[in-house]
Amino acid sequence: MDNKDKLSEIKEKRKEWEEKVLMPSAKRFGIEKSPTEFYTPLDIADFDFERDVGFPGQYPFTPSAYPISLVPRIEKGAKPGGLKRAGTYSGYGTPEDTRDYYKQMAKIMYTGGPNLALDLPTQCGYDSDNETVEGEVGKVGVAIDTLRDFEVIYEAFTGEQDLDRIATNITISAAANILVAMYIALAEKRGINMAKLRCTPQNDILKEFVSRGTYIFPPRPSMRMFRDSVVFFTENLPGVNITSIGGYHIREGGATREQELAFSMAIGIAYLQEGVNAGVDIDAFAPKFTFNGFGGSMQLFKEVAFQRAARRMWAKILKERFGAKKQDSMRIRCPLSAHIGCSSTTKQRALNNLSRSVVGAIAGVLSGGSPMAFPPYDEPLGLGWSLEARQLAEDATRIVMYETGMCDVIDPLAGSYYVESLTNEIEDAAWKGLEKIEGIGGAVTAIENGYMQRECARSAAERQARIERREELIVGVNCFTEEYELDVTTSKIIEHPYSEEKRYDAEKKQKANLAEVKRTRNNREVTRLLKELESAAKKEDENLMPLFINLAREYATLQEQCDVLRGVFGEWQLDTFV
Amino acid sequence: MEKERKIKVLIAKPGLDGHDRGAKVLSFGLRDQGMEVIYTGRRQSAEQIVNSALQEDVDVVGLSILSGAHLTFFPKVVNLLRENDAGDMLVIGGGIIPDEHIPILKEKGVTEIFGPGTLIKDIGDFIRKNVRKIA
Repeated sequence: MDNKDKLSEIKEKRKEWEEKVLMPSAKRFGIEKSPTEFYTPLDIADFDFERDVGFPGQYPFTPSAYPISLVPRIEKGAKPGGLKRAGTYSGYGTPEDTRDYYKQMAKIMYTGGPNLALDLPTQCGYDSDNETVEGEVGKVGVAIDTLRDFEVIYEAFTGEQDLDRIATNITISAAANILVAMYIALAEKRGINMAKLRCTPQNDILKEFVSRGTYIFPPRPSMRMFRDSVVFFTENLPGVNITSIGGYHIREGGATREQELAFSMAIGIAYLQEGVNAGVDIDAFAPKFTFNGFGGSMQLFKEVAFQRAARRMWAKILKERFGAKKQDSMRIRCPLSAHIGCSSTTKQRALNNLSRSVVGAIAGVLSGGSPMAFPPYDEPLGLGWSLEARQLAEDATRIVMYETGMCDVIDPLAGSYYVESLTNEIEDAAWKGLEKIEGIGGAVTAIENGYMQRECARSAAERQARIERREELIVGVNCFTEEYELDVTTSKIIEHPYSEEKRYDAEKKQKANLAEVKRTRNNREVTRLLKELESAAKKEDENLMPLFINLAREYATLQEQCDVLRGVFGEWQLDTFV
Repeated sequence: MEKERKIKVLIAKPGLDGHDRGAKVLSFGLRDQGMEVIYTGRRQSAEQIVNSALQEDVDVVGLSILSGAHLTFFPKVVNLLRENDAGDMLVIGGGIIPDEHIPILKEKGVTEIFGPGTLIKDIGDFIRKNVRKIA
């Protein structure tokens, strides 16, 4: 019997089952339609293993980005332990506070380079002494004004942890090139060639307009800055990633799963096109694109399918549209696989977020990545995760990793009628969404005219409406909230690694730090270089990276440089879109 | 017969915080409940917010911050409103506000703080109950 005959037989048998078994059962429960679904080979009738799934770490990357799952093995006699490397998104207050934090963390097994969280003035291109940013200095991250601040932070990273031995993440997009230039200047002062640096700036400006919001310049000049990154990094910084694309932020901003995939692929395409237009070979720079993560939710199977669809879609875009030849160009490099997304956590009965994050960790394994019980349960409670919450999250991840045996098989749901069909469904919807954006004129235009922003806001409002109507249930929020429920909390007996006092003193201290820099640097040279920057910025073809490095060396401030660029590029202000 | 005036709400994002999902969702939600809602967009100074509130003569100012700058911005907006004889406008806030900051903000004139997970239905009820009497 060939496949076609088999399928029609299944079709007939399904019909028979529905009539004779399913419907009578529904009738007994007094319902018209079954609330549960059942998938069969009919749902993936034209399934083709090699085309749709393939092998791990190989085109089209559906099962996984890599051939081997990256679960660290524990050797006999070894004593693994401690929390994660310093790479947890971290930093607060003044550069001194952040340096001391990393030194303190090193004592409890945090190793490796930092993943720098920067305060909002830094991310938006303002200095700490700017009156309009009062109250924000050192709040959601550390304040960086000049090279001096990098020098201070990296006092915690010397010797075995020197700049040529660690990898740094810098979470900034609009002014990414200016911060990378400071990092280069710092390395230079330590006698380390920039070719030896390993670093990932977020440098994903387009999603800032859609959600997250730390843009400075309008989209088009921002893309010119991105082009500078592609060209300069490819030529001079082999160990520096060009971008860390975040579908995550778009979903957290309200987009549906399908919108997120469509938007982030459209954004990725816009970035790739910049490099191609600048004459860089696609296989020379595409492998240096990373993704910091896609969004997540509590819907486990849909998130698993989403990750599979995302990998397959990106691979097809690279191969079919951009003509990439290298497998490395087609692979999504992303530290975070499926997870629940921070917006799935609740302030109400916050310890429940630990249970939620375990569901996410399981989804992570099933989606072909490594598990991560993310985020720590106290995500909605304040700024910065407590050590207790991080320990619990780490342990939850370890339990999934080492106790369940789940990590022994990659993509265990491959071939599942349901998951394969879901994967197709999500990918198809994303291609349609992408076509729509391309009809508008591509990601940049779809941001300039507010299309993506409006879509996200509308989806967020629709979801909230479903929650209010109780069509979507959230335990402790819109159901199971009677007064006899207990509000279980953890006792906060371990001191938070961020000092509240320091956080609130940071503004004053950092202003003094900056004043001292401005007093002692060669101000004449700074002024000259800023003028040079202005005339270079006016020439569309000029790459500004070498100038940013010169300016960093002379301790020009972030805002001084951004102000020059504001004058030439303008500022993005269209923002309401509701 | 003169139609009753709709409750007019200004939803504002003070400072550099970019998390605007809550602000936008609330704008939609209160509009659905029949209120007139103006959303300022991101990156508003306290002065800009108060100017918009006065110009539009709103009944309610809703402030949203998830970046930790609420202790600076919320009282600043309240004080500027009072200085401009608009102390009767209802000021409410939302975002990631640690529980221990809520009494501080209330003492400084923010009437209520709504954290994550609040239903818009409840915010609407609160506004209707506490808004200044509309002439």
